[in-house]
Amino acid sequence: MKRLLATAAAALLATTAGFALAGSAGAAECPSGEFCVWQEANFGGQRANWSGDDGWWESWISDTDSSWANHGISGPGIKDHVRVYESAWQGGSMTICLAPGQEVGYNGAANDRGDSHTWATGC
Amino acid sequence: MLRTAARARRAAIVAAASLLLSGCTVVAPGGVGTPTVPVTRAAQDELLRSAEHRLVVDCLRGRGITLSARPRAPDDDRVFRAALFGAGPRELSVTLATGATVTAHEDGCLAIARQRLYGDQRRWFRAQVTVDNLRAEAQARMRTDPAHRAALARWTRCATPPLGPRPDRPAPAVAARCDRESGLDAVRKRLEAAEMAEVRTLHRDELATYRQLRDRALRRAAELPASGPPVERPHLS
Repeated sequence: MKRLLATAAAALLATTAGFALAGSAGAAECPSGEFCVWQEANFGGQRANWSGDDGWWESWISDTDSSWANHGISGPGIKDHVRVYESAWQGGSMTICLAPGQEVGYNGAANDRGDSHTWATGC
Repeated sequence: MLRTAARARRAAIVAAASLLLSGCTVVAPGGVGTPTVPVTRAAQDELLRSAEHRLVVDCLRGRGITLSARPRAPDDDRVFRAALFGAGPRELSVTLATGATVTAHEDGCLAIARQRLYGDQRRWFRAQVTVDNLRAEAQARMRTDPAHRAALARWTRCATPPLGPRPDRPAPAVAARCDRESGLDAVRKRLEAAEMAEVRTLHRDELATYRQLRDRALRRAAELPASGPPVERPHLS
């Protein structure tokens, strides 16, 4: 459902430029338990968020990712790290691995490169 | 008023927890009930995970928040995130060789739990982020290698249909066949192993810090007193 809503929101907002710019202070605006990716640096522009894996990001966010936040919740036996890959179905190289609470506002090398991600117990 | 009470309660819990932790480090060698650190990596990881989870739950409780499975309204979730992940400036920051600047807050319960477990959250953050991304760094170096570039060019030719442009994403079966036929798989395996060895040498200081702080955290985790009331497992699908 969340995924459906996100998709609908994305489709709707794809036509409008730049919205929901994240505040400069405080944690990035990313729901708890989710991994979030923004089209713009510093958690700005359109956002995609997932609580599970996605082997092939939708076209509006794949290879347009510019900032990332892992707001996963840790616990015994829980997959709380996120590995981001440059190809679909976790193929190619891993561009970044984030533990819960870690955020990346910009990455010159991995900017606009992500295509898939998976949750794991470690990196 | 409520805020002050919460702050006082938090301070009391922090003080109690540090007393408990520091008290627990005084263990007679070989004495009865000496905590033992598990031998296997998997069991060690699980011990650290459980200990961190318990410290986080205690810290959140001190802020009047329960870690629960129920979904939160957006405003409640914002309060919860600020308590767990922190708020304000991003005090913890490491720029990796891959170009990513990884940041986190120092004032959330997650950071406070790590401070207690690892002893020095700034050193731990730097070491952990670096070590967690050694593979990403090795793979970034691998992509610049001429042998990798050549194999990738062969792969692209293989995945391009005779007529028309290469599809944006070839079917998984085609991709797997091209991995084999282009030799890209084999080149990747060979180069990645060499680059991993190289980046491990480059980051030997961070690796040493990582091991040192992890060993300390394992001892602390093993010494943590028995758990309080049962904790509801967080929801993560």
